[in-house]
Amino acid sequence: MFPKLLSSQTLIYHLILFFSFSLSVNYFVDLEFFNFLSYAIFHLTLIYLVFYFFHFSLFFISFLYGVFFDIFLIDYISPHLISFLVFVFLFYYSKKYLLNFSSRTISYIIIGLTLLMFVSETLIANIFFNYPINYQNLSWLFLTSLIVFFPSLFIFSKIDKL
Amino acid sequence: MALSFKVKAISRSRFLRNVFLTSVFILSFLLIFFSKSDYFVVNKVKSISNNYLYPITSFIVSPVKVISRLQTQFYDFRNLQAENNILKEEVMRLKKWQALAIHNNSENKVLKKLLNSTDSNLTLVKTASLVSRNDFMFSKMININAGLKDGVVNDMAVVNYRGLLGRTVDTSVGNTRVLLLIDPNSSLAVKTISNNNYSLLQGGDDGVHLVSAFSKDEKLPKVGDLVVTSGSAQIFPPNILVGKIVEIRKDNFLVLPFVDFKNIDYVQVIENK
Repeated sequence: MFPKLLSSQTLIYHLILFFSFSLSVNYFVDLEFFNFLSYAIFHLTLIYLVFYFFHFSLFFISFLYGVFFDIFLIDYISPHLISFLVFVFLFYYSKKYLLNFSSRTISYIIIGLTLLMFVSETLIANIFFNYPINYQNLSWLFLTSLIVFFPSLFIFSKIDKL
Repeated sequence: MALSFKVKAISRSRFLRNVFLTSVFILSFLLIFFSKSDYFVVNKVKSISNNYLYPITSFIVSPVKVISRLQTQFYDFRNLQAENNILKEEVMRLKKWQALAIHNNSENKVLKKLLNSTDSNLTLVKTASLVSRNDFMFSKMININAGLKDGVVNDMAVVNYRGLLGRTVDTSVGNTRVLLLIDPNSSLAVKTISNNNYSLLQGGDDGVHLVSAFSKDEKLPKVGDLVVTSGSAQIFPPNILVGKIVEIRKDNFLVLPFVDFKNIDYVQVIENK
């Protein structure tokens, strides 16, 4: 049960997750790009981890990150928690179909899901807590995700070979 | 025998997984359900995250903080000459104002003695500095290094030298989160200095301006009017500077706050005397 959870690759992914989480919740006025970058990397890494290193503990990890993201960025618990848990839950029940796809298709699914997650978080924050949809921030996030997508996949594939 | 053991082991592990999954979902549902109310558990989770998780994340990102500070210093250094000229002009202007202020101050003292009025209605609870900011993406909040141990509680007004900043929302032992005025969920009762036009302001969608949500009088104020707290909502003491009206629309008006929310370093937590 635990070797998959504690393998060196998984540990590296969890370090990336925690580092990008830390960068995302500390806003740097002069280096705003870092925040967008880390926020995008966090989502990409989480989805990649769920796709290729799925473990039941990821439900709990997603729960923790969802709660803390919501507390730090919104002060009310919902948008991130719902998005993360729904994603892991849907993957858990459809993984036997999803993992039949080629690695290229899975890559496109990963980036598609990342963008979908940004939209769902923004929409939930708007509907539940009255936070306006900031199209400028959302476009920056989309752009940053698209820019870092291929480099991160390249790095992830290197980590997988460790 | 071996087969039966395997079947039992599998069913037990599946049962445990289902129990775990169900508990995670129930816990999430409860947290979501109670997050908008002041439920004890939610406040405890917020307090734990502020006290323990924040220092860890701040430590991890400290190299980035250093880079950010160096970048700011570099820009400051580059603009030194131009800034120096501006400051010289400012000093000249302020000297004239100082003379006028001294004159007005002495006149005020005499008038106050005549009216037998008290000096101020504010008490300084604590001066604190900015620890970190959370105004990326959604809410507009900052963290300051003062908390319950310093006498800071929820719903206290926070100001700096330029005017009103916001109010305290999540107070833990050593840290407090401040909801800035520009947050869309923040609301504030104000009046105009010129004609005491009472209205309610909320954070605008652009994250810069405040938008009037309700006006007591049908007549809208004028562009350029100064806006101060009215003191009617009990959270904010009256007559604290908020901002200046910059645009009048059909049903509402926009206020530009005096505080530069991108450059906050030291703040003061205050309350009514």
